[in-house]
Amino acid sequence: MVDKVYIDNPGALKIDLMLRGIRLDGALEGHGLFKGRAGNGVDIILPNDALVNVPCGDEYTLASPYLLHSSGKHYTITAPKDGRGVPVKVVKPPSFYSEYTTTGKAFSDIATLHGSYSAITPKPVCELFNENAECRYCAGGFDKVDANPVIYTVDEVLETAEAILKEGTSDIIYLSMGYSDCDDGGIEFLAPYIVAIKKHFRCLVAVEALPPKSNKWIDETYGLGADSVLYNLELFDKELFETICPGLAKTIGRNRYIEALKYAATLFPNGTVASHLIVGLEPPGSTRQGIDMLTSMGVVPILPIYRPQPGRALRIEPLTTEIIIPVYRHLYKAVKENEINMLWVRDISVVTTPSEGRALIGEESKGLTSLYEQFYKTKLGAKTAWGLSTLRRKLRVKDTKGLVDSSKN
Amino acid sequence: MGVKIDRRPIWLLLALKGLRTFFFIAIFAAFLYVVWMPLPDGLTPEGKNAIAIFLLCLVFWVSNIIPLAVTSILAMVLVPLLGVMPRDVVYGLFGNEAVFFILGAFILAGAVMHSGLSNRIALAIMERSGNSPKGLLLRIYLLAAILSCFMSEHAVAAMLFPIVFEIAKGLELRPGKSGYGKLLFLSLAWGCIIGGIATFLGGARVPLAVGILKETTGATIGFFEYSVAVMPIAVIMLAIGYFVLTRSFKCEITSVAKAHAVLEKRIHAMGKVTYNEYAVGAVLILTIIAWIIWGHSRGLATIALFSVVVLFILKLVRWKDIEEYVNWGIILMYGGAIILGTALEQSGAAYWLADRLVGGWITGPLLAVAFFSFLTLLFTIGISNAAVIAILLPVAIGLTSSFGMNPTVVAYAIAVPAGLAFCLPMSTPANAIIVASNYISVRDMAKIGIIMSLCAWIVFNLVARYYWPLVGIQF
Repeated sequence: MVDKVYIDNPGALKIDLMLRGIRLDGALEGHGLFKGRAGNGVDIILPNDALVNVPCGDEYTLASPYLLHSSGKHYTITAPKDGRGVPVKVVKPPSFYSEYTTTGKAFSDIATLHGSYSAITPKPVCELFNENAECRYCAGGFDKVDANPVIYTVDEVLETAEAILKEGTSDIIYLSMGYSDCDDGGIEFLAPYIVAIKKHFRCLVAVEALPPKSNKWIDETYGLGADSVLYNLELFDKELFETICPGLAKTIGRNRYIEALKYAATLFPNGTVASHLIVGLEPPGSTRQGIDMLTSMGVVPILPIYRPQPGRALRIEPLTTEIIIPVYRHLYKAVKENEINMLWVRDISVVTTPSEGRALIGEESKGLTSLYEQFYKTKLGAKTAWGLSTLRRKLRVKDTKGLVDSSKN
Repeated sequence: MGVKIDRRPIWLLLALKGLRTFFFIAIFAAFLYVVWMPLPDGLTPEGKNAIAIFLLCLVFWVSNIIPLAVTSILAMVLVPLLGVMPRDVVYGLFGNEAVFFILGAFILAGAVMHSGLSNRIALAIMERSGNSPKGLLLRIYLLAAILSCFMSEHAVAAMLFPIVFEIAKGLELRPGKSGYGKLLFLSLAWGCIIGGIATFLGGARVPLAVGILKETTGATIGFFEYSVAVMPIAVIMLAIGYFVLTRSFKCEITSVAKAHAVLEKRIHAMGKVTYNEYAVGAVLILTIIAWIIWGHSRGLATIALFSVVVLFILKLVRWKDIEEYVNWGIILMYGGAIILGTALEQSGAAYWLADRLVGGWITGPLLAVAFFSFLTLLFTIGISNAAVIAILLPVAIGLTSSFGMNPTVVAYAIAVPAGLAFCLPMSTPANAIIVASNYISVRDMAKIGIIMSLCAWIVFNLVARYYWPLVGIQF
């Protein structure tokens, strides 16, 4: 069963590739595109235009049934045992990865491209590591216990954002931060970055923060300029949440996550409030319950796939693609039934998005849906999304006098 | 944190945003229609354009969709642009004596407030009120009225508000519930409003009215002459006001001993009377004497500006200190209003308008005074009192010429009631300030404000009919 391959279905293939990785043809191993890929994976565009970040170079990928090989500029993924293959495109690493800020910091240290969005973590530190209360699966690279952690300045982040947007690959800047002991969920810290990016660039900004103690901070997040917000619950099962994320369970609590998401979904535009539920950390049935609850509140569930991380104590056997596929099918159906906009969470290389789940049930996007999807992928579409989001904020936010001081940092 | 989220449907918010644009387009379309419409009988082309500008400004002043001062600037731009008056005449009118009198009065009041003199006088008078709640109430009421005879009523309300607020807190009066709390704040606002009509200094309304009167008819009103004419109205209204106040809300306390602690603490914090306070007080008194003696011959503005120069020579104030007290918006607004009033008069539009609107049925001076004073009281409930004067006075002056009435009388009939705004917070800043305390609601204010407005109209007309002829004001 494990050797079953999904060459024919790009939706299932994306999941399988994320789960099992890929091997490189001998001719490709020395190729500049794939050097030093361990840990970062390779970005590949599948036949349905789905972008996927495929692990390669890690030990477990050596057992992958998939092989990437090239013929000139053309790439193919084949399943040698099965004998079939599909043409794919390999995405070159963005050129800004090899550039530096004026202060000498590598852009690749500050930002990571994930398809339609680029993630920037101005303060890559999670204070829970200091108390041994971190999330046990954590792969965020936040485990740097340091008295003087690196904090990227607003100017450094602005330079990075400029390089990203000039490159033109992604049009959403995704700001995130690790756990910090504060009532505002980290918004006061992120505020100057959000304000500065909004002031200098016409791009959308997504913010991944912690649920603040008061909903006023969610208003503040929207007022500052965040177009999308994520409070990542990670696990729906209450007991597993307390076991795997002890710090978050103790300081914030599962209920507060749910309350904050529910409130944010009434404030932010449809489809822009999201929460991660990691597939494989809990039984699939529990994830499905989580999907149902989040979608009923208007929240988009984003389902990354769990893989044990080197150096982490938590080692749960990953689920198989066969078990995972029904979960993604359920995701697509739940999002659709609750009439949640799927255009915001799209083209992400590290997860299967709700709209990509459509391929898993054999549906095709057509008519207006297809037109919208294609339109919002264009430059004009991105500008339109920015314009509409900005107009909505101008209409909704009545008083910005009290916005947190953006001169900090 | 201070973000407020408007959660009404987006389509509604969009429609409301679009409404403003639609409003401007509609108003300018109506304006252009009036400009391009065929010339009515008896009206000159300049008069028709003056009416178009007047109507445009009327809508903007009443709706307050753009600041009053900006509407005035628009008038200044449109009058020469549409050929109603040459531009050198238009900008020359901005140098009107009334505008400079207002500037001088702002600076003098600013100096008095900055020196702390006004605050000290207020505290000293209140501190001597004894323990009777009615005694304290009367002191606040009269103090606000007397101070408003010498400086802008708005400034007096703003200055006394924190003191009254502290007294209310010191007496542990519950906001919105306490009858005595309501009385304290209403006595403050009504004292300011009634006292403010007694002299030229209570507000910039009277100088504006005199400015329009002088530019359009050549007639004027002196500082002393005005106070002699209006003082009885102020005194009677103060008496009626106190009577209405003390019967409107129940006083639930028997002693105000706790208020003295608050006042004493404030007086103590001020220290001894300073040289600046003595000197500023002396300059103000001498200025008032000069206004009374030489107001007609030398001009009120000249005396006011001379006093301002003296303040600076004696180093009693610095420009930086008084800048915050000078309301440049009001000065611009008044300049524009005088220009518009003159444009209406000189083009014959004021007479034409008055004749068409009320000429048929206002047949005598008494009826004219009764009508315009009533209209002014009605307008001033919802519109800035300066805007009311700018709107009504040119038309009223136009009417007087049709039956040989003294135009000075209609200037009084509009300038005085324009200051008697008791009903709503938007009527005058004094009302707005006390509503902000939460001790008095808009409903409370409107309920007894209507009674006061009605009384004001009756008192004004009785004084005009029976007292003014005795002091030489002939209709």
